[in-house]
Amino acid sequence: MTDTPPPKPASPVRKTAVRAAQAGVNVIWLVPILALLVTLAIAWNAYSDRGAMIEVEFADATGITPGETTLRFREITVGQVEGVQFTPDLSSVVVQIRVDQDVAPYLDKQAAFWIVRPQVSAQGVSRLDTVLTGSFIEGYWDAEVTERATRFVGLERPPLIREDAKGSWIRLSMDDGGGLTEGAPILYRGIQVGRIENLRLGEGNEGVIADGFIEAPHDDRLTTSTVFWDTSGFSLSLGTQGISFNVNSLASLLQGGVSFDTLVSGGQPAGPDTVYAVQPDEDTARNNLFVGAQAGQLRLSVLVDNSVRGLEKGADVQFQGLNVGRVTELAVRVDDENGDGEPKVLQHVTIAIAPARLGLAEDATPEDALAFLEAAVEAGLRARVASAGFFGTSLIIEMVEIPDAAPAQIDTAAEPFPIIPSVEGEITDFDQTAQGFISRIGNLPIEEVLKSATEMMNSVTALATSQDTRAIPEGLRGTIEEAQAALGDIRTMVEEFRDTGAAGNAGTALASASELADRLNEAAARLPAILDALEKAAVSAQDVDFASIGAQLDATLQDVRDVIGTPEAEALPGKIGTLVETLDAAAGQVDRLATDLTESGAAANLGKMVEEATAAFASVQAAAVDVPELVDQIDAAAAKVEEFGFAEISAQAEGILADLRAMLGSEDAEQLPRNLSATLEAASGLLNDLRDGNAAGSLNKALESASLAADEVARSVRELPQLVQRLQATAARADAVLAAYGERSAFNSEAVNMLRELRRATESFGSLARMIERNPRAFILGR
Amino acid sequence: MSQVEPQGPVLTAHRAGLIGCRSCGRVWPDSEAACARCGAALVPPDRRGLQAVWAWWIAGLVMYIPANLFPMMRTQTFAGLQGNSEATILEGVLELIDHGSYDIAIIVFVASIIVPIAKFGSIAWLAMVAGRPASVDQAHARLKVFEVVEFVGRWSMIDVFVVAILSALVQLGFVASIHPGPAAASFALSVAFTMLSAQSFDPRLIWRGLPLQSQAGN
Repeated sequence: MTDTPPPKPASPVRKTAVRAAQAGVNVIWLVPILALLVTLAIAWNAYSDRGAMIEVEFADATGITPGETTLRFREITVGQVEGVQFTPDLSSVVVQIRVDQDVAPYLDKQAAFWIVRPQVSAQGVSRLDTVLTGSFIEGYWDAEVTERATRFVGLERPPLIREDAKGSWIRLSMDDGGGLTEGAPILYRGIQVGRIENLRLGEGNEGVIADGFIEAPHDDRLTTSTVFWDTSGFSLSLGTQGISFNVNSLASLLQGGVSFDTLVSGGQPAGPDTVYAVQPDEDTARNNLFVGAQAGQLRLSVLVDNSVRGLEKGADVQFQGLNVGRVTELAVRVDDENGDGEPKVLQHVTIAIAPARLGLAEDATPEDALAFLEAAVEAGLRARVASAGFFGTSLIIEMVEIPDAAPAQIDTAAEPFPIIPSVEGEITDFDQTAQGFISRIGNLPIEEVLKSATEMMNSVTALATSQDTRAIPEGLRGTIEEAQAALGDIRTMVEEFRDTGAAGNAGTALASASELADRLNEAAARLPAILDALEKAAVSAQDVDFASIGAQLDATLQDVRDVIGTPEAEALPGKIGTLVETLDAAAGQVDRLATDLTESGAAANLGKMVEEATAAFASVQAAAVDVPELVDQIDAAAAKVEEFGFAEISAQAEGILADLRAMLGSEDAEQLPRNLSATLEAASGLLNDLRDGNAAGSLNKALESASLAADEVARSVRELPQLVQRLQATAARADAVLAAYGERSAFNSEAVNMLRELRRATESFGSLARMIERNPRAFILGR
Repeated sequence: MSQVEPQGPVLTAHRAGLIGCRSCGRVWPDSEAACARCGAALVPPDRRGLQAVWAWWIAGLVMYIPANLFPMMRTQTFAGLQGNSEATILEGVLELIDHGSYDIAIIVFVASIIVPIAKFGSIAWLAMVAGRPASVDQAHARLKVFEVVEFVGRWSMIDVFVVAILSALVQLGFVASIHPGPAAASFALSVAFTMLSAQSFDPRLIWRGLPLQSQAGN
């Protein structure tokens, strides 16, 4: 290597390098400075935008994810959850929320925070959007900043009523909060106008108190005389109008509810935080308008010495028929004021009376009411127990004016409450009344009476419609016709006899005729006996146990007898006598004829003729011999009539008249049959008339109608026991219905079961709802 | 001069009074101010050029801080139902590990954490040791490192590319959507700055600091 001097550019190069370095510094170093500035600016921007950190305490942090869950105010995101911690005692969680700068200054003590989750309630599903977006924290605060705060206690659940909602807050007091839940609707004529909140026990263990919020336009309806009643669940009531079953909306069935109405005018507008008593049901509310102001009631005691079974706590107190109060307490009091050592057990009834209902001024005090009642008692006002209700089994206290009451006054010194004098109660004993009534009906011998009547009617009908009865007139007519025919025969025979003219035997004939006439006479003499027998038969017929028909028949038979006893009939014997006379005269004529015949000398023929006549007379005589037998037969017939009734009369009479036809042949006898015929025709006509419906028909009809009427009566009377039974059944049913309301009854257990089922369903629904609320995403993602 | 003796002084272009054009590589004598071939200014290797390296390096490092603190990308699945994830680079890696995707986690971790940090370290080291005395082997090692940094530099953008591509592709509305976070821009800038930093480094400085051992030995 040659020793080449190494290049030495050092010094000049260094100089230029320094210059260059000095020149380069200015330019290139701007880049990192700029980068730094930008980064710092970004960092500062991020930091300054962070907003204020607040802490909110919640019982749990359901659905809150740091970095994701937002804080919203009126649905605008104004912050974000940055962290979730436990409180030192692990009793709750603290959620740290970064609130945007623009709203952070407004956060003061009044700010409220709650977690918004989907809510599944009886009134529907709300905030389902949070199922997708996830839960968020909602806050509410107003623009007025009183005291700034950074630590808050979150609400358990979303407030049902926004702070800024317009309306009125009221307080509701009730005996128990059964059936009511937070958020239960307040209804006005079935429209929801508010909600119930803060259901809590009253101070001093006195019932339940709830806050109610009535929305703005509707709160005008609230006055001091507004009444509230519970519409929870369903109501079932038995009254004079039957059973009524009311179910309100499903929401109120599940959540309960309260309804209100202003039933009477004149109340002052309700001030804030007015306390209203919630009545168990609408009827009670309407009947107990006065209960609204419990403090201003007059309490009185009533001492009753008879049983007050049926009087219940809450029973009405009526004054002039109007409800003015109710029974608040029932107790027994042993009284020994007589000093006779015999303690007297009295029922001690405490009643509460609303002064306003007595007709006093709205602002009347109990003292005013007491003064008013004192004056009234002086005038005779007394308290007494009275029965009311459907069966009169429930009792009320009634204040009535007893005009002649013994003077008494209100014992104002009595403890604990003044005692209003009472009188004997007016209790209608329903049981006894009904029992007496029914037993009296039961004791009526209705069945026997009706049995007799029915039988009688049956007999009458049977008699009136019997073939035999109807056959009588027909038979008589037939008999008379035959009698006419017989008389015609007799006349022919007599004519023949006259024509033949047997003088020889005429004497015998005349003797026979005379004998015949005698026998006829005898027969005629026995006719009244026959009639008597007939009458007797009639009488016996009458005696047959049908009473009224007997009389009717009697009358009918009387008519028959009258017919028979007409002058013509009575003249019958006389006429028969005349007939005999005529026969006599005829015999004289025969005699003369015989003389003429003898004179004419036609003896031989005449003898034969007379023989024939004698034979004829013999036969007539033979026939006449039968007359007493006939009469006997008639007698027997009458007896038979007497024995057997009317059926054989016609047959017998037919026989009689047949014999009469055989017996009678005289021309002059015509008169008798004619008369008889006329008479019998008249009788026949009468009987025809009777049969053809004038009398008999009418009777028949009358009897039929009577029978029908009797049937009707019988039927209705037969129904009477049914009616009574039905009444009994109704009573039993009413009893059963009433019993069904009792404890441990089937209905009750059914209802309880139903409610239990309903509650179970509600519970499972509720758990579903909770599940959705707690973990909305799981509902969709199934996680 | 032609033979480099192991014990002899090392001859470099600088020592030979020559200057190389950084643009086209033509070697000119010291006296030349501009490359007659390509017209680029002929700058002698000098430590003052390291200022630009440091400036870019600092800018890159500055931008690297928000790139790691801010979320890289916002993933919205089912309109936020499945999670509105806003993951920074490291969180993304941890999430991937949580999901069991170790391979991808390693890729992302290497590309987004190790490589940039290694780059920063390498450039800083190179800038510090440049011009300092070194053996030939050391100089070769430095050159290797520089070449690796230069080569790897562009691949550092893989994360940004992923975000860009995903943002463009995954816009499925309700189901899923991906938006680049503020860290993406920072990261891109950071990578760009480091690349500029690496580019600003004059590799000739590596040789300039070679000690004249042979000279001293002679």
